[in-house]
Order: sequence, then structure tokens, then C-alpha cells
Amino acid sequence: MKEEFKQKISDALDLPKDIVLDLSRIIITGKISIFLENHKGIIEYSKDLVRIKTTSGVVAIKGKGLVIKSIIVDEITVEGKLETIEFED
Amino acid sequence: MLLIKLWNYLRGYVIIKISGEYCERLLNQAALNGLYLWDITKPENNVLFAKIGIKDFTRLARFAKKTGCRLVIVGRAGLFFSILKLKKRKILLTGAALFILAVYLLSSLVWGIEVKTDDNKLKSSIKRDLMNWGIKKGTFKHRIDKEYYLDKILIKYKEIAWAELQIKGSQVIVELVKKQMPPELEQNEPCDIIASKDGIIEEILPFKGEAMVKPGDTVSRGDIIISGRLTLKSNDLDEEKKEEQQEVLVHAKGIVRARVWYQKVVKVPLVKKEKFPTGNTKKAYRINVGNRALRFQLGAIPYSLYDKKVTRKIQLLPKIFGDVGLSSITYIELEEKERFIGMKEAIKQAEEQLEQEVNKLESDAKINKRSIDFTLDNDKKHVIGSLTLEVLEDIGLQRQIK
Repeated sequence: MKEEFKQKISDALDLPKDIVLDLSRIIITGKISIFLENHKGIIEYSKDLVRIKTTSGVVAIKGKGLVIKSIIVDEITVEGKLETIEFED
Repeated sequence: MLLIKLWNYLRGYVIIKISGEYCERLLNQAALNGLYLWDITKPENNVLFAKIGIKDFTRLARFAKKTGCRLVIVGRAGLFFSILKLKKRKILLTGAALFILAVYLLSSLVWGIEVKTDDNKLKSSIKRDLMNWGIKKGTFKHRIDKEYYLDKILIKYKEIAWAELQIKGSQVIVELVKKQMPPELEQNEPCDIIASKDGIIEEILPFKGEAMVKPGDTVSRGDIIISGRLTLKSNDLDEEKKEEQQEVLVHAKGIVRARVWYQKVVKVPLVKKEKFPTGNTKKAYRINVGNRALRFQLGAIPYSLYDKKVTRKIQLLPKIFGDVGLSSITYIELEEKERFIGMKEAIKQAEEQLEQEVNKLESDAKINKRSIDFTLDNDKKHVIGSLTLEVLEDIGLQRQIK
């Protein structure tokens, strides 16, 4: 209810949704790099799979030779050979 | 990110191996607490490799204990550690220092001398002299006193009107401009003596040549006074030979004294503008680097009329590092006031100015008569002083016969 209301406001006023709804923003560069803003921490990390907790669920990045290029409070950059990106509820 | 990486590189960072079951939790903890980790890889289960700045590392160690992970330093990198490593390699360091010193020393020596002039004879002569005076290959360029050598060149070579000595890199460059000397007549060159000024001849003593004027004659500038062209009267009665009178050219010589008049008029205002300091001053500073000056001051100079006084100069660096000095400038505000000086004072000043004109005359001139008149200008604001001098002086000047 509350989420829907917020979404309507952001639609009506054309406000950026990631700020109004506190969502994460994901930027994917080709098949080599993924940049995730506003995360809630890493759940699992191995060279084939990175699972990152966000406000809208868990983002699972699958690929080969994944490297966490950098990690700070609300930004993560993962590099490697990306294959799939899944959103788990 | 680049900036952070660069900063970390400068401070130095460590490559660590994290082992334990909940490595990810350590990563989250670190991120939450503002520690920056990068290049995290997980080659096998329960083992993580990451890079972290040395300052952050000690804080990370605390979190590691909480989460039950083990930290091992695998490698060190960055400038901090590079310097540490270099400290052990003393020979390499001394080599590098020696190299820099050698380059500095070699570049502070003079390796070439160049004289910029078309005259080859003068060029080689100056080069040779500079060599004898101490500027040669291998001289320290900081020791060269430019003024001293310029003076020496100018004193020795009278035909040089202007010279400049520059040191560019390891080259000493001397630039010259030659004087155009008036041709001096040889003793035996035929010439006339002409009048250099208008005047009345008072006395004429021809040593050689034929006098063309008598005492009391008026001559104007350029007239021939003593001619070097002598005509020989031949006693031969032969008509034909009489026609072609023989001419002999001589080097005319003699003393010609003439009365010459000079007139000079000066104008002195009765109301004089004088400048007085108001007591307001403003300070500014100036840094000199060689011939360049960098001036800094707070705000513009608020005075319309001011005087500048450079108070002192402090040498900031030793002379070998270049001429770097600091001087303070004081601007003194001035005020213009008008003062009526009166006729007497104005006449006195006019007289002083005229007196200076008299002193400018050539020393061998003898003043015969002098008269000074003072009148008031039409607008009654100025005093006009006029000076008339009658001077007895030598007006003879040699001129070549062509």
C-alpha cells in the first residue's frame, strides 16, 4: 500500500525512483562489469557467483572469474565474465 | 575511485589473505565501517584475497577477530614500501644522487662562448680576451660577474657602442653593436676649415692654408674660413700656362676665434605646484626571481598621487640558487598644493635656470658680455627671463676637400 503510493507520487512528479523508493541502481557495462549502488551487503561470494542483498531482494550475479573490484558502504563493483543476473525474492 | 587508488598507492597498501567461513561478513563489516577494500578475489572456498591501505588494515584486524576470520599479509606495495625497499639499496641511491649532482654540475659550467657580430676580427679578439679574463670552457657560470666583463669589453673596445652578456644554458652569448665612428682626418689629408656657428670673426691665425676672411667679417655656418686650396701664382708669362693655374691642396690648420651669440628664454610660473606627503602609506611586497618581479599587495593603490619607496631587500636563497629576493614597497600618498611664490622668487628661479645654461657652454669659451632681462608674461602668471650671451670661442671645424 505504502510502496504503491510512493510509486504513484514518483510517477506523477517524475522523481527518480531509486531515491523515492529506496531502490538499488544497477549499471552493467557490456559483459565485463556490473556496478551496484545502494546495496545491503554481500551474502555469498565465490568466483562463479556473487549474491548481493538489496532492498528489493537478492541480486545473484553468475559468471566466471568474478572479482569484487571495490566495495564501500553503498557501492559494489564486480568484474569478470558475466553470464546471468537474477533477481531472487 | 582513481583518486582513492592513487592516494592508497602513495600511502602504501597490503595484499591480504582472508581465510574463514564467513569471509563475506567481514567484507560487509568493513564496507559498513568505511574501510575501503579493492580487487577482492576468491580463488578457492573459504579463502579471499584483497587489497587494503595500511592504515585501514589495523582496523580490519579488529573486525576479523569478531567474525572469526584469519588475516595474513601476503604482499606489500605502494610508494611507502618502495621507499623502504630503496633504503636498503644504498649503492643504487648514491648512484642516482651522484647522477643528479653530475648533471647539475655539468650544466652549471660554461661550454661555449659566442660573440654575435659580423666583424670576424672583433669576434675572435673578444673571444680571446674573454678567455684571458677568465671565461672559458669549464668556468662556473654562477661565478661570472656580467657587469665586470661588460665593463672590461666596453673599456677595451672603444668601437663598441652597446654590449650585452647573456648566459643561456651552458652558453655565454655576447651581443654587440658597433659604433659608427666619424672618420678622423689624417694629418696630410687636404681639408678646409669652416665655421661651425654663425658669428663675427674676432681673430684669425692661419697656420697652413689661406685665410678667406678678415677680423670683423660676419660668417655664417658652413662658410670656408681657411681654405686648403692654394693657388700658385706662376711667374711664367706664357699665356697658356697662366690659364691653368696650379692648385695645391693642403691640410688647413689655424685658430679662428669669433664672437658668437646665444639666446635662451625660460618661463617660470608665479604659482608653483608642490607635492607634500599626507602621511598615509600603504605597503606591498615584491619577490624578485632574477630579473622577474612578482608583486603582491592587498587591493589597489587608493591614492591618485603617490611616491614609491622600495624599503629593503632580503636575499631569500643563497646566490647559487639564483637571485631570489624579497623587498617591501611603501606607497606614500602625496597632495598637491599651489603656492604663490611672488616676483622676486620667480626671478631668482629663472636666473638659476639660465645660469645652468651658461654652464653647459664649452669650457674654452670666454664670455664677453651677458645680459638678462625679466618681463611679465601677458597672462601675468609667468615670469619670462631671457639671457643673451656674447661668447668668444673657437668656431673652426675641419672639412675634407673632395
